[in-house]
Amino acid sequence: MEGGITAWEGLVAEGAPQSGMAYFSPVTKPEELIALAWLLEDGSRKFYSELASTLTDNEAKDLYRQLAKAEEHHMASLLELYEEFSGKVPDPGFPGSVIPPGKEGDVMEGGMRVGEALQWAKGKRTTEILELSLSLETNSYDLYLKMERQMKNQRSAQVFHVLSGEEKQHLERLSSLLEKRI
Amino acid sequence: MGILDYFKPVSTWSPEEVRLFLKEKNPEEYNLVDVRTPKEYERGHLPGARLILVGEVADRLLELDPDKPTIVY
Repeated sequence: MEGGITAWEGLVAEGAPQSGMAYFSPVTKPEELIALAWLLEDGSRKFYSELASTLTDNEAKDLYRQLAKAEEHHMASLLELYEEFSGKVPDPGFPGSVIPPGKEGDVMEGGMRVGEALQWAKGKRTTEILELSLSLETNSYDLYLKMERQMKNQRSAQVFHVLSGEEKQHLERLSSLLEKRI
Repeated sequence: MGILDYFKPVSTWSPEEVRLFLKEKNPEEYNLVDVRTPKEYERGHLPGARLILVGEVADRLLELDPDKPTIVY
C-alpha cells in the first residue's frame, strides 16, 4: 500500500527517495547479474559509509559502519564469482565494461539514487533513516533470492544464497535498532 | 543499457483503493500483512492485519493463502 500506515491515517509521508522499483530482468547473463549486484552493493556501501560519518546516534553510526563493511565483503564475493564465470580477472573497467554507466550516478537497491537519498537524510530522525534503510535491505534480500533462483549452477546459487542470508541479518539488525528507537 | 534499465516500478495501491477493497470484501477473502516492527504494530495497524516482520516473510509464506490477494504495508 502506497505511503504505508502514515498515508492510511491520512497523514502525508515526507517525500522519501524513490524506492518503489524492483529488479526485473528475466533474460540476463550471469556475468551481467553479478556486475549489477556489485554496482548496487557499491551504492549501498557509499550510502552507509556516509551515514556512519554524519549521524550523531552512536549505535546507528556503529551499525552503518558495520553494514558498509559487510557490503565490501559482498562486493569481494561477487568479484570472485564474476572471475569464475568469465574465466578471467575482471578488467580495470569492471563493472562499467559489463554494464555501461548511465547518467543516474550511483544507484542502490530499489533504483534509489545514492545522492538523492543522502540529500533526503540530512536532518532526518534516526528512525526515518532506519526505515529507509530497511526498504533498501528488503530490496537487496529480494534481489538475491531472485538471483539464486535464476542461477543454473550450484556454486553460484550458493553464493547468492549466502548473500541473501546476510541481507536478511541486516534487516533484522536494522529492525532491532528501529524497535529500540521508537 | 544503464543500471536503471534493470528495474521496473512496482505497482502499489493507494490507501483509498485499500479502504474500498477491505470494505467490499470479507476478511476470509484476502491476506492482510503488516511487515513493520512489533512496536509499530502495537501502536496501530489496519483491522485484521497479521504481523509478519519483513525479514520473516520468505520463511512464513505458508501462513498466507496463495489463492487470495495479499495486501502488504
